[in-house]
Amino acid sequence: MPAEPKLSHTAAMILQAIHCGCAYGYDIMDTTGLPSGTVYPALRRLEQDGQIRSHWERQSIADAGQRPARKYYKLTPSGKTTLEASHRRYPLLSKLAPTPGVKHQ
Amino acid sequence: MMTRRISNWASLDGAILRCAALLVPPAKRSDWLTEWRSELWYVLERCRHEGRRPVWDRNGILFCLGSFRDAAWVRCNDQSPDSSRHPWLRSPIRCLMVLTTLASVAAVFFFRSSGPLDTLLRASRGHREALFAHLLMIFVACVVLPATTSLALGEYPANPYSPARARRVRRWIFLGIKLSLIVMIVFCGTLDLAQIAGVPALQPHVALLGYILAFRWALIDQRRRCPVCLRLLANPVRIGRAGQTILEWSGTELVCTKGHGLLHLPEIATTYSAQRWLDLDASWSSLFLS
Repeated sequence: MPAEPKLSHTAAMILQAIHCGCAYGYDIMDTTGLPSGTVYPALRRLEQDGQIRSHWERQSIADAGQRPARKYYKLTPSGKTTLEASHRRYPLLSKLAPTPGVKHQ
Repeated sequence: MMTRRISNWASLDGAILRCAALLVPPAKRSDWLTEWRSELWYVLERCRHEGRRPVWDRNGILFCLGSFRDAAWVRCNDQSPDSSRHPWLRSPIRCLMVLTTLASVAAVFFFRSSGPLDTLLRASRGHREALFAHLLMIFVACVVLPATTSLALGEYPANPYSPARARRVRRWIFLGIKLSLIVMIVFCGTLDLAQIAGVPALQPHVALLGYILAFRWALIDQRRRCPVCLRLLANPVRIGRAGQTILEWSGTELVCTKGHGLLHLPEIATTYSAQRWLDLDASWSSLFLS
């Protein structure tokens, strides 16, 4: 039986924020209250570990919204499994943003 | 367009991001900077909504300072095939420029502060004696050097693909300039350090150690360079297992990124298993970046 994946509290918070619909870096910072120097390296590490994947928004959409294009993050199936394990490890995690999918649908 | 707008009214934040971007490997820099500029836009937009001036805003500056940590993470975890541990030494010109800069800085400090020179002159009773003392330390370092590393410079048997005579001469010129700069760095640098530390009596000992380590580095660096283009070899790959040294070859293979050849480095250098260079002809060039 494979070992249950374990994440730091910070990484678990970021996964939870992405799960709840925070899809780009600043939004995750805003929700978690973590500083930029923590959020962005953690996002890269999670992506490197295959927990999340990223893609750039189309420029036409950004232009329509009169803002720069965003780099969106999304949980992978592996990331969802890890997040479920993190919920058991950090029971208060679900209080961070209890309604998944509310933001940025 | 949006990026230009940001840089117009957030020049300090932009400057911080550009400084941090220098840490990011060149292949990823543009993408990295685009993401950070995009995210910075939201920080500055919030400032404007809250009625604060985005220029010199504390939140914007703190946000941008976090980019240094991210840039450092990207650099430390760079797994692209052309990543090298010492990109500033990769090409021969860049290596000499770095050494020249270090030598210039050491020399400027040395000539600006007459203290260490006076101390040295007093300690050795005259300029000639001081130079003689350093020449003696260089001689001792050369005597000790074979105990620390092999003296071979990566000279390989001649074959149809061997570099032309002019290129071999260029290798020796490169080594000569490198050693001259190293001597200057150690000579001036140890005198500067002795003054900063306030213990001039230790200067000869530090200089001797400095010469040994510097000469050792120069030889190892020379052996790790392509004999054709003098660039540092890259992409090390381990071959075989250390336990098979007697029965089979084991060691590391490095490749010239320009496609000039492969270097085989044995795990343990012996009389029957020395460092070998395998020349690759032009038919291999399609496998390498130009």
